[in-house]
Amino acid sequence: MPSEGRSDSLEFFAGFIDDYFAESDEHLSSIRHALLDLDASLGQPDMASPAIEELFRSVHSLKGLSGMVELRPAEQLTHEMESYLRGLQQREVALTRSGIEALIDGINTFEQIIAARRAERPTPDITAPLARIAALVTAVRSERRDIEGAVVGTGPGSTPATADADFRGRTWKFTFEPSAALVARGVKVDTIRARLAQLGRILSVSPKITSGGGIAFEFLVATEADEEKLATFGEDGVTFEVLHPAVAADADAAREAHVASSEAHVTLLETASVAAPTHFVRVDLARLDELMRLVADLVVTRARLDDQLSRVERSLPATDARALQEHAATMDRHLRDLREGIMRVRLVRVGEIFRRMPFAVRDLARDTNKRVRVELRGEATEIDKFLVERMMDPILHLVRNAVSHGIESPEDRIAVGKPPDATILLKASTAGESVVLEVIDDGAGIDTGKVMERARAAGFPVPEGTVDAGTLLGLICAPGFSTRQETDRASGRGVGMAVVRKTVQELGGTLALESNPGRGTAFKMSLPLTLAITDALIATVDRDTFAIPQGSVREVIEIDPASIRRVENNELITHRGAALPLLRLGRLFGVTESSRPRLHAFVVGTGLAAVGIVVDRIVGQREIVVKTITDSLIKVDGVSGATELGNGRVVLILDAVALAASARVDGRRHGDAGGARAATA
Amino acid sequence: MTDITMDAFNESYILFTLAGTTYALPSRDIAHMEMVEHITAVPNAPSYVEGVVFSRGQVVPVVNLRVRFGFERASPDLRARLLVVKVGERVVGMVVDSAREFATIPASAIQPPHTAIAGLSGDYLEGVAVLGERIVLLLRVNDIIPGTVPTGA
Repeated sequence: MPSEGRSDSLEFFAGFIDDYFAESDEHLSSIRHALLDLDASLGQPDMASPAIEELFRSVHSLKGLSGMVELRPAEQLTHEMESYLRGLQQREVALTRSGIEALIDGINTFEQIIAARRAERPTPDITAPLARIAALVTAVRSERRDIEGAVVGTGPGSTPATADADFRGRTWKFTFEPSAALVARGVKVDTIRARLAQLGRILSVSPKITSGGGIAFEFLVATEADEEKLATFGEDGVTFEVLHPAVAADADAAREAHVASSEAHVTLLETASVAAPTHFVRVDLARLDELMRLVADLVVTRARLDDQLSRVERSLPATDARALQEHAATMDRHLRDLREGIMRVRLVRVGEIFRRMPFAVRDLARDTNKRVRVELRGEATEIDKFLVERMMDPILHLVRNAVSHGIESPEDRIAVGKPPDATILLKASTAGESVVLEVIDDGAGIDTGKVMERARAAGFPVPEGTVDAGTLLGLICAPGFSTRQETDRASGRGVGMAVVRKTVQELGGTLALESNPGRGTAFKMSLPLTLAITDALIATVDRDTFAIPQGSVREVIEIDPASIRRVENNELITHRGAALPLLRLGRLFGVTESSRPRLHAFVVGTGLAAVGIVVDRIVGQREIVVKTITDSLIKVDGVSGATELGNGRVVLILDAVALAASARVDGRRHGDAGGARAATA
Repeated sequence: MTDITMDAFNESYILFTLAGTTYALPSRDIAHMEMVEHITAVPNAPSYVEGVVFSRGQVVPVVNLRVRFGFERASPDLRARLLVVKVGERVVGMVVDSAREFATIPASAIQPPHTAIAGLSGDYLEGVAVLGERIVLLLRVNDIIPGTVPTGA
């Protein structure tokens, strides 16, 4: 410990506290995971122990860490949680729903303490959560006394469940090996577990690695069922064998087997946690950003080199020129590999966001008397660390919105023939250069009539007749729009749909909506995998050059100016059998328009939200380095960033989605607001 | 710049001209100076924003000081310079007609702005200095660079 100077120790402490935050985050992440497992295993005491072990270890570590940085409230809180978990671990007390909720409460408070410390705000009050957990601990103590008093001579390891005395069945070992074919038929570990639970008592479950490298689950089940009844399991990839036919020996052996298997489990985990640090390096995100910036500089230099090369090419002997071209191409490839390598380092699993969601909706579901199950899919999908941080609030908002607005009460659901438990599916997947995040609920869908009514009341321009999903999305995302009659908990954070859409767009992504009346709502967010470098189409209008990220362009078309029709204030062409409104980039940006025999357009958006953005010429497609525009003087609608193409000049990157949106506003309002702004440029 | 004075009352300034008038900004506010090359226009930005350039790898907005001060816009020639200033966290470029001199102006030579000096730059004036035969208007950089978005988002 440095003790020479105050500044030294402060610096030392500052470095240490950053480590503390990082480590706390890691532990919190595994705690959330374990709490979910624990929640799922409620009512099946034997299933809970791995989760309890995991929780115990993480909470214990948090307590130690908090003590080291002298964050007393955090230490106190984790201390109480640890005591309760120890009680659970030693089976002195049974796991209850209120117990799980107290733990969740405790962890949420812990997070708030950390957040407060990070932001240098005063520590939140921990009295209530602390008391809640302390009450559980008191229960443990009294129960411990009861057991000690009543069962003299029996070790604490004996479970209270001794109703097995007159049990006449046998213990079986079932091995289930999941496969894609089985999953397709709906046969998963959970379904097998549920069926086995009906058959008898599940003594233990443990995952095993099969000789083929796959995963199998071993269930030890005490059941009175005979072999004939078990035969049906064979069809679902389950093999079984009897372990102990004798009853008396059975219970003990099963318990032993269980103890052995849970010990094995613990050893496995401990080995992993000991080995893990040697394989992982914790890196400050800023350092990766710096590397990414250097690569971006390289990409620009390479573009300049290419530029120069093509200029001198003709004056060089053919063999020299070819050799140079080859080297340039090789460098290009290496550069791409390098860039991808660095990008991969920045990727984290999307599960980091997803796993918070079930906790986020618990209170809200309870307060609104709804029954909600959150299902996670594609948790292992990797996404840029920066995106994870930025997407947390929007996803939280969508999930809470689904609970407060999308999902019906259990009674209403039963009335329309739906299961009383609603499902919110959080799904992540990759598609080409994008990550797709979806929030799908099986609720009532969006009430289009109500949205329109509300929009009219709020003075938004509302089209007559039926509206498509794009327009509907536009309305609910409009700043100041809300169908809420009163403020609810979900709106407490001040993140509305407008912010959801803005965040997605700022990250260069798109937001789409699908709503089926009576069947549910789905929000789909497509985000670019890479932020700093992207493929773009380069276009010119008069003497200006623009770049449009390729991900936002659906199609590139050529237009004969003679085919353009004027309808009121709009220009339209027929494209693929439908009318496609055109948006003249030159006019929008106040650039002199040239009359050309052929024009080109980018088609962005789909369905009724589709717009053709007209430019003079499309010069080509290339990799661009995206530089963000931060200064308010040049932050304008329709421009998402800047890049350079090798000559040092700034080329603006267009935000196609915002442009299309401004076109809609201009068209409907006959170009008052947007048009006036364009005219001043 | 070998003669660095430690006297707090004598500050070093960069002198530049706009439409025949000489102005001065404290050199500590100026990050660097560049020749004016291609400036990319930014559509829908305020009229005094000439556009955007890359300066040392950073995207920097460029303010046309002629327009900002209400003079006639003139296309930059070879004498024109881009003064890149740091205002807090922001880095902003300003196009001026020319900028060729450093000067140390003693605090005693600076008078508060005369109430009779009219003109748009009056709002940004720190004071007026007389250097030999010349009258120099001393500017406050923070006031020249607007902090808010005029194009409602």
